[in-house]
Amino acid sequence: MGKVLMKGNEVIAEAAVHAGCKYFFGYPITPQSELVAYMARRLPEVGGLFLQAESEIAAINMVYGAASTGVRVMTSSSSPGFSLKQEGISYLVGSELPAVICNIVRGGPGLGNIQPAQSDYFQVTKGGGHGDYNLPVLAPASLQEIVELTQEAFDIADRYRTPVILMGDGMLGQMMEPVEFGERSETEQFKKDWATTGTRGDGEPKIITSLELDAESLERRNCNLQQKFARIKENEVRYETYFLDDADYIMVAFGTTARITMNAISKARQEGVKVGLIRPISLWPFPEKPFIETRDQVKAYISVEMSAGQMIEDVRLAVNGHAPVDFYGRTGGVVPTQEEIYDKIMMVARGVQV
Amino acid sequence: MNSLSTITILSGHFGSGKTEIAINLALAERQKHEKTAINDLDIINPYYRSRDAASIFQQHDIELLAPKNRLAAADLPIVSGEIYRVLHDPRYRLIVDAGGDKDGAAALGQYYHEWKDLSPELLFVLNGNRPYVSTVAGAQYTIEQIEKASRLKVTGIINNSNIGSETTMNDIQNGYQLSGCLAEELDIPFLYTTISAHLKKEAEDFAKNHQVVFIERYMKLPWES
Repeated sequence: MGKVLMKGNEVIAEAAVHAGCKYFFGYPITPQSELVAYMARRLPEVGGLFLQAESEIAAINMVYGAASTGVRVMTSSSSPGFSLKQEGISYLVGSELPAVICNIVRGGPGLGNIQPAQSDYFQVTKGGGHGDYNLPVLAPASLQEIVELTQEAFDIADRYRTPVILMGDGMLGQMMEPVEFGERSETEQFKKDWATTGTRGDGEPKIITSLELDAESLERRNCNLQQKFARIKENEVRYETYFLDDADYIMVAFGTTARITMNAISKARQEGVKVGLIRPISLWPFPEKPFIETRDQVKAYISVEMSAGQMIEDVRLAVNGHAPVDFYGRTGGVVPTQEEIYDKIMMVARGVQV
Repeated sequence: MNSLSTITILSGHFGSGKTEIAINLALAERQKHEKTAINDLDIINPYYRSRDAASIFQQHDIELLAPKNRLAAADLPIVSGEIYRVLHDPRYRLIVDAGGDKDGAAALGQYYHEWKDLSPELLFVLNGNRPYVSTVAGAQYTIEQIEKASRLKVTGIINNSNIGSETTMNDIQNGYQLSGCLAEELDIPFLYTTISAHLKKEAEDFAKNHQVVFIERYMKLPWES
């Protein structure tokens, strides 16, 4: 199969099918409805099941049920609908169930609008639902990267028995690019002996639940979860860096914002300003290493976001006071332009404001 | 892009490139007609619609008929009532940009009685590099669905096969073959191939022997300058 021209939302759906996901429960919401529509058409072709639930809350709980049987399952939404799923996501974490949840972020808060945004960063990286938890969050910047990360998301979910979030902004969901779905070289085998597919007198009953009435037992369960989160932090950090070797200033941006920022960087470099980029791909775990390696050499970091400044908090934690951290962002569905970002770089580089 | 009708409707499968062709067509027709209007009937896509090229239409004195102001980005399947102002005015050349697939074509059905006697052109834009329309059967199914929803017959096929910035002449050739087979199968005239202007040089030979319209891209992403 050669390259095809697809919409970001369609790519997520097709990549999930390639990753062996045969079950999708969802509820349409702009700007990710094409994902739901594509799954409705595609899953019956591969012997899977698509079901449009009566609400986002119903959909995430259907995911819980399907995940309990050990199958690969997915749901998707956009900001307001994703908020509705939080209770269910917390249950998935508590019950240690693998699933992939996609959030194609739009302008908020509240009903907001249907334009691109990244303002759900706090929600996805700091837990989102109730209880002590984190979950892996992957943020692709191109449609080809969606192919790779959607499949990764399913693998990470199975590897750690955890829900995984795939996050993009509305632009990534709506834009079109050529993509190729290659055959996967190695597929890790996951033994799912915990799945509630029935016992045949061959062992203890299998129970999937997040309910743990005894305080000491629930604390033990939390300790186990924390150990798992530590393992994920150890093994599942993903990022890319550009032009860091000689950089005086480092931009930090993820998703489509990173692509806009790259153009601003190229222009600033033509003007002799040495700028680099750290592009977090996993938003949680946040890539701390490239900051630790650079924070004593650079003059400043600039976080660029389609939000009022959320990732900047993780940048500050990683930089830990070794260098100033500045910010440029647009909110409410406004996409920052290359010119605005370039102006910000030049302003910081000329020392006008840091 | 010569047309005898005063109304040209661009239809096609989802993501076929209708909007880019509609914008290019409107700009070309404005050269020949004092009054040219483009009607954005896209009730499917939340962005990358004709209305997003409003400034270009304004520059070229083309009337944009589309939900305006805050309604332009409303998450509602609404269309502008302004179409009635130009539909029966013979001075107007009207380009209609419908949303993709049968769902997009559903917005056309309501105007059947308004334009059935004006013999509007209903063009089907085909990009053979999109899912579900890479075969004659797939494209035929989409055409049948669009015809049913719009209550009109497709009068011409446009080959707009591409994979964006990585398009090669091979993609265009394959799409041309597919469009030809489709046209023959359904007995609908094949009109021309649209090719992105950045491929002008590569397409030189192809353009010598085939009907080609080179088009500019207006729906650009923020990192494309």
